[in-house]
Amino acid sequence: MELFRLSAGQAAGGIKSREFSAEEYVCQLLERIKKVEPKVNAFVTVNSKEALEQARALDKKIRDGQDAGALAGVALSIKDNICVKGLRTTCASKMLESYVPPYDATVVRRLKQAGAIIIGKVNLDEFAMGSTTEFSRHGPTRNPWDISRVPGGSSGGSAASVAALECAASLGSDTGGSVRCPASFCSVVGLKPTYGLVSRYGLVSYANSLEQVGPVGRTVEDVAAVMNVIAGIDEHDHTTAAVGARPVYSAGHDGGRRQQQQPQLRVGLVKEFVEGADPAVAKVIHGAMDTLAKQGCRCEETSLGAVKYTLASYYTIAMAEASSNLARYDNVRYGFDDLNPEGYEWNSYFAKARSNFGEEVKRRIIVGSYVLSSGYYGKYYLKAQQVRSILRKELKSLFKHYDVLIGPTMPILPFKIGEKIVEDDPLKMYLVDIDTVVANLAGNPAISVPAGFVAAAAAADGGGLPVGLQMMADEFQEQKMLDAAFLFEGAAKVQRSPEL
Amino acid sequence: MAAVTKDQVKHLGWLARIELSDAELDRYTAQIEGIIKYLDKLDSIPLEEAKPIVAKKKFSNLRADEPAAFEGDALGTKYRKDGFVKGPRMV
Repeated sequence: MELFRLSAGQAAGGIKSREFSAEEYVCQLLERIKKVEPKVNAFVTVNSKEALEQARALDKKIRDGQDAGALAGVALSIKDNICVKGLRTTCASKMLESYVPPYDATVVRRLKQAGAIIIGKVNLDEFAMGSTTEFSRHGPTRNPWDISRVPGGSSGGSAASVAALECAASLGSDTGGSVRCPASFCSVVGLKPTYGLVSRYGLVSYANSLEQVGPVGRTVEDVAAVMNVIAGIDEHDHTTAAVGARPVYSAGHDGGRRQQQQPQLRVGLVKEFVEGADPAVAKVIHGAMDTLAKQGCRCEETSLGAVKYTLASYYTIAMAEASSNLARYDNVRYGFDDLNPEGYEWNSYFAKARSNFGEEVKRRIIVGSYVLSSGYYGKYYLKAQQVRSILRKELKSLFKHYDVLIGPTMPILPFKIGEKIVEDDPLKMYLVDIDTVVANLAGNPAISVPAGFVAAAAAADGGGLPVGLQMMADEFQEQKMLDAAFLFEGAAKVQRSPEL
Repeated sequence: MAAVTKDQVKHLGWLARIELSDAELDRYTAQIEGIIKYLDKLDSIPLEEAKPIVAKKKFSNLRADEPAAFEGDALGTKYRKDGFVKGPRMV
């Protein structure tokens, strides 16, 4: 039996009923990682020894008749900007190449308590700044559907490891689409929670007012199961919202039943999202709307006018917050090892140490410093914050009429590695985030669900390149969004795995 | 919007404490000018009536800011002396 193919739900079920042991399951995944990693390069650190120890301990617990937890034995990969105690957390940066956190992030602690096994740390763009996972000190991660292409980013390692069957699910972080973009490019499910629903304690900060930790899985049900474990108020993160200690989400059979009892889902297709997309992508999204209509949803086109300002607002805020957050990396507090402070003057030492940031990070810190400089603050930062309030207002009124707003997650298909970097125009890369940043600026939840494949002449396996459908809901309406995503997933039947 | 100059980028690099090579300055100047021009879009928005977004939560319950002893490997620092973290000289 190929255990590495199992969903999180199937794995936990099999382990708890002692159909197979957690040890067998983890062994198979480690074998799988060994086999496909040379092609995919999703992992920064494979946690082999501890994962096996955790699995054995869990098997014993089950033999002894103890409660093994909701995610018993389920192997998850964790983006390398989320702290796991005792496991190197590099942020794909030289600045943190030897940083070993002495604590678990709240989300990781909760996963462990639920019986999950941390199988390794996965690749990202340095400090989560990018949309391709090419800006990594560990080299680019490759898209499992076509290894000459990018997996999306910045949580590219999370999505690629899940798509390549190297783990059942993963945790990424989403600042401007960093969970949803790679989920879309790798044909898996990725969710960005409402701001404040999931603790950021132990997530290395990039842009605090925008980012959330979010799950990636192969099914909507798995993503809901991980959300059940990680969501909820945390005393270590004052921005977590008081929505009850642990909200409970469902997808799968319960979700299906509830669906039938509920009034018709109202779906709005945001025309601005479709208009700017590659026609092949737009076609898949129109097809997705038809699928939802056939399932009894009331679907219509709608408009979100503020979209035209959101990218400028997003990049202003993200870069401003980045320049401030990354000020702490001075090689005295955290650091790499080959620059002794002896003999240096304070400022010149920091400037020298900090020149070791990668290119994209340096660019963002400098632009962030620009928009925050005195005289420009009102022109950029303040206006960017005003855009957020305009956007929130517009979304609030749209969500009076719709349960979910849909569109493509990414306006383009996964492109070749190096294609957008060599053009030496970072702005071009930023523009692909147009559909995802909305949810971060407004704080709403959003999910990317596999919607189909587009035959691309250049695609390696001839099977086509993935397209993701994005669904967005009102604040804290994750359940409604999961219901819609589950309904679509069941009707569209897109989920499959790449040949590797 | 005035063009972004190489001197400006150099100065911003200094403010952010990032040493930039000449090659980097050349490359970044044009790129940053492009990015700033894009951000200038914010100027074209009718914003009079919009209030900037503010945090909904009041942060009055933060813990007291009390100094605490540095513990073990909390920061993963290599350069230390007599239990202190070693940094470059201030003056």
